[in-house]
Amino acid sequence: MDLENEKIGPAYNAPESYFKESESRLLQRLGIDINSPEASAPKIEAIKPVEVLMKVDTSGIQKRARKQDPLTSKSVGVDKDVDSVGKVEIAPLTFTTNENPEWVNFSAISEETTGLGDSLNITKVTYGDLLNPVVVSVQIESVESEIATIEELSTFTESEEFVEDEAALTVIGIETAIEEVVAEEVVLETEVGEPQEGFVVESIIEEESITSESIVVHEVPESVGLDELESYIAPINAPKAPIIEEVILEEVPQTINLEAPPTAFAPIAGRQKESATPGWLGIAASLAAIVAAYFIWNAIQPPKAEEAMATELQQDEPTLIESPLDEPISPKDTIPDGLQLVEPLIMGEMPKYKEPNVYTIIDAKEMPPRTKRALQDLEDNGLATFDMEDEMFEELDFESL
Amino acid sequence: MSVDTANAKNMSETQRLQNLSEDELSVELVSSGVTASLFVEILRRYQQQIYYHCRNLLLSHDDADDAAQNTFIKVWQNANQFKGDSRLRTWVYRIATNESINLIRKRKPTIDFDEAQPEMADLITEDLYLSGDDIALKLQKALCYLPFKQKLVFTLRYFEDLSYAEIAVLTSTSEGALKASYHHAVKKLEIYLSVLR
Repeated sequence: MDLENEKIGPAYNAPESYFKESESRLLQRLGIDINSPEASAPKIEAIKPVEVLMKVDTSGIQKRARKQDPLTSKSVGVDKDVDSVGKVEIAPLTFTTNENPEWVNFSAISEETTGLGDSLNITKVTYGDLLNPVVVSVQIESVESEIATIEELSTFTESEEFVEDEAALTVIGIETAIEEVVAEEVVLETEVGEPQEGFVVESIIEEESITSESIVVHEVPESVGLDELESYIAPINAPKAPIIEEVILEEVPQTINLEAPPTAFAPIAGRQKESATPGWLGIAASLAAIVAAYFIWNAIQPPKAEEAMATELQQDEPTLIESPLDEPISPKDTIPDGLQLVEPLIMGEMPKYKEPNVYTIIDAKEMPPRTKRALQDLEDNGLATFDMEDEMFEELDFESL
Repeated sequence: MSVDTANAKNMSETQRLQNLSEDELSVELVSSGVTASLFVEILRRYQQQIYYHCRNLLLSHDDADDAAQNTFIKVWQNANQFKGDSRLRTWVYRIATNESINLIRKRKPTIDFDEAQPEMADLITEDLYLSGDDIALKLQKALCYLPFKQKLVFTLRYFEDLSYAEIAVLTSTSEGALKASYHHAVKKLEIYLSVLR
């Protein structure tokens, strides 16, 4: 078939009504009314797509910010006037008391006393101060001055009454120390084993008992263990130890737990002592026994006959489901109906197809003009066709036309 | 100005535009810019050609309708960018071709335009506005076995009667390449049609 001589008409023939309907639909989409007087050229200029959008006069319109609720993600308009009236200032966070002494950060308490009548005077002495001679000397100096004060003011001696007061204070201190050990910040009334310092601390206590309720807080680092701490405390508190223990026994009520122990209702097996043999050894032994039994069982079995084995193998093979012969097998290619047979026929016809003298030239743009002219001559004379392929489907550029 | 006067002026404007040649219409578009009357004139002049061009490329009526509508929307939106360097018809055809290619890419993002798309032949059967000409339908099916570039060149040249120069501008390809593509397309189609017969 000669396509160029036998002109084949179009395969599609849409009616005029479709084009009318399409036209009206398009004009409607674009907002063009051709029948109205406004459709005349000068008026339509307004409908024409403008490059600069019409400016909107926003004067007099209050710009309002919006704030978003982080929980509900709802934004609410911010009214500055209302917000300025209802502004709330939150006072800085302060704490006065703490019922749970474990939460008190003693390192945050300044060495200065609070000075309030209701509160205790707390002086912090670090553990290092006790061990470091320099710091200790400072302590001693300050304590010496306190001693002088005490000597000036001393009307009390070490009487029994004073001992009782001191013991009571010491008990308080010990209780505090026990609680603070849990919080890893040991606070105690500690006294250095040296007699002078011990005297000094006692003097401080004496002064506190007289003048104000002042407690000396010794800060001990976490690295110091409770035993080590007690070894420091023991020699100092040695003479008073009996009194303290008595008081502690009196003060701390011993609670009796009436609940049954957790193992009371446990099964007997749970109470058995652990065996010295590790568990994995037993498991390994069990597995070894199973394997050995398997091999023994196989060894004692009589050999199977070949026929029996063949039968067994046949039974193991999956049975093939035979498809009925009358059922047509539909080809599953993508070639549409009526064209399945075309491909082989085309392949048969292909040898008759003679390729034209087409030469693909990739760098046609960079070709010198003389070469282009020569190629043009060849093409004009029908000797060859040059396929100068170059970006056929580049994106449409309206300005290039 | 009364409504009758405006209508009369409209009619005369429409009449005047209808009498313009394609080149004069291009000059009118470049000099005066697009107006509703001018756009409607362009629409009426090229609507059917663009629909059939899109239909030849896309085969489906719905797709062709979409592509044609989008083409004229872009003509309206970008009319002020038309500089008159090419013919108006070429410009509109180029927009339509790009719209068709975009639609094909949207339907099948992995499409390779260097390969034939024989599965597209399914779209021809039982669709709207078929002419009923068997040979024409066979030719449309055979076109599906061509690479898209050859199909495009053949369609523009064979059905739309565009010159090689116009197609070269439209496709940004040299005329030599177009001639080669067309030659390949014709030979292949002749084989297909002889087999199909």
